[in-house]
Amino acid sequence: MIRLERLAKTFGSRPALHELSLEIPQGQIFGLLGHNGAGKSTTFGMILGQVIPTSGAAYVRGVSVQQHRLRALQGVGAIFETPAFYDYLSGWTNLKIFTSYTRRVAEAELREAVHFVGLDARINDPVRVYSHGMRQRLALAQALLPRPDLVLLDEPAEGLDPEGIHEMRHLILGLNREHGMTVLLSSHLLSEVEQICDRIAVLNQGRMIFEGNWTDLTGTAVRYRIDAEPWDRAETVIAARPELNLGAEKTLTLAPGADIADLVAALVHSGIKVRAVEPLKQSLEEIYLELVGKKESAPAVH
Amino acid sequence: MSLFLTQFRYELVKMFSRKRTYVGFAAFLIMELIILFLLNLPRPRARFQHIIEQNGYGFDEYFSGYTLAMQILIYTTNLLGSLYLALVAGDLMAKEVEEGTMRMLLCRPVSRIRVTVLKYLAAVTYTFALIAFISITALLAGLAYRGFGGLFMGPPDAAFALVPPERVLRLYLLAIPLLALSRATISSIGFLFSCCNMKPATASIVTLSVIFLDFILHGIPYFESLKPYFINAHLGAWMQIFQPYVPWGQMLEDYSYLVGLDITCLIVGSAIFLQRDLK
Repeated sequence: MIRLERLAKTFGSRPALHELSLEIPQGQIFGLLGHNGAGKSTTFGMILGQVIPTSGAAYVRGVSVQQHRLRALQGVGAIFETPAFYDYLSGWTNLKIFTSYTRRVAEAELREAVHFVGLDARINDPVRVYSHGMRQRLALAQALLPRPDLVLLDEPAEGLDPEGIHEMRHLILGLNREHGMTVLLSSHLLSEVEQICDRIAVLNQGRMIFEGNWTDLTGTAVRYRIDAEPWDRAETVIAARPELNLGAEKTLTLAPGADIADLVAALVHSGIKVRAVEPLKQSLEEIYLELVGKKESAPAVH
Repeated sequence: MSLFLTQFRYELVKMFSRKRTYVGFAAFLIMELIILFLLNLPRPRARFQHIIEQNGYGFDEYFSGYTLAMQILIYTTNLLGSLYLALVAGDLMAKEVEEGTMRMLLCRPVSRIRVTVLKYLAAVTYTFALIAFISITALLAGLAYRGFGGLFMGPPDAAFALVPPERVLRLYLLAIPLLALSRATISSIGFLFSCCNMKPATASIVTLSVIFLDFILHGIPYFESLKPYFINAHLGAWMQIFQPYVPWGQMLEDYSYLVGLDITCLIVGSAIFLQRDLK
């Protein structure tokens, strides 16, 4: 659905994105993860033809956004971190204005989108009286008109309260599962991305440092807490195995492909009593910080 | 085409739904009444009387509602008109970019050229609406105060012009679109700067600076040879319609210059906007 080929952007002398190549298949919910300034919004801007790439190209359904923007953006809906509206007009008029830039949309279709986001009761109010959550929902409604097959959501949960985040999550999942839409979502809320996305890419300082699914990401570092007696002999056995790395508080990190069962067998074989082997689930924040090279600032594993 | 008209209609809805639009109209109305009051103070009134009677015409006939309306129109459009048009036109693109609604619009399969053309047409429409409002309210105020009669005024390149009562309404109505067309140039310059990467207020200030600098330079004798290139040398072309013998050739030249400048502003503004990153 989306293909980015060595997409790069430099603002003045500041590089914002370094040759990003990415493919997002149809029907997926794809998460673009990264801290502020990582290059997520720049990537969105280039996919939508709002930011002109320094080099590379973005394709939507095989159509180059840079060369045939109008054709490429047919069937694309988008919302931004801070959705902007004509505050002095009603939500309904705003929807009519925005959709008129795609095509004429039947009133029933407008009503359906308004109903989907749950704004029926307030749609005729001026947008200036809307709460942040209502603005986000109105933004989603405009993105769904007229019936896109690809939705780009830039920080859709930003500024929402927990209830709003929960609602937004369900709306996004509904778009994908009930309406078959492909969703590209950017966020720095790791738990949100984890709960919604099939696949993710992590950006750091304009570079993609990971692309894959969650199991690829969490599988990159398998950790256990181990307790054995006598511990000094257990340490010697562990130290002799290069695929294992013993950390503080008897924490073991296994290299990819290493099996904890092999270590347990080796300890038992050496006459060491293994009292406990507890798998440690790495927190998402830890994984992320590890990826972006800030491991030292990560909180302790619980 | 019909979608274009729908989009254009929504541009006007956006423009005319803002309270600020009407605050501006109200400001003009107040300004008109102030000018009407000032023109009827003894000294300006005596000056008018002196000039009219010195040329052998009757003061009561020519110090009419039309004469007052014309004075109101000239002062209002020169003083407040330029300022207000620069403010509105400077906001057009820059405000939408600043507020983020432009990004929302351009998520959609619409070309930037279409957006700039729509905005420009909205600016021109607004200019015409504003000038029509000022002209008609000035006329109503003038007529209410002094009633019908002939018109006495001083068009550019002439000492004065007198229009007999039977011709004056037709000429006054004809002057409205001509005045609006010349003022559209201020909106066009505002639009051009609004397309650049600057804040709305900056675009308005730069527009006003250009107009005022042009006004000052065009009045300096040293630049006499360059006069045809100054904008202000052409902005008063609409008043030529009141001359006894209308210099159509000169007017055509003036308006060709102004319309040419308008089109240039539209093209250059669009070209700048096409190259911009929207973030």
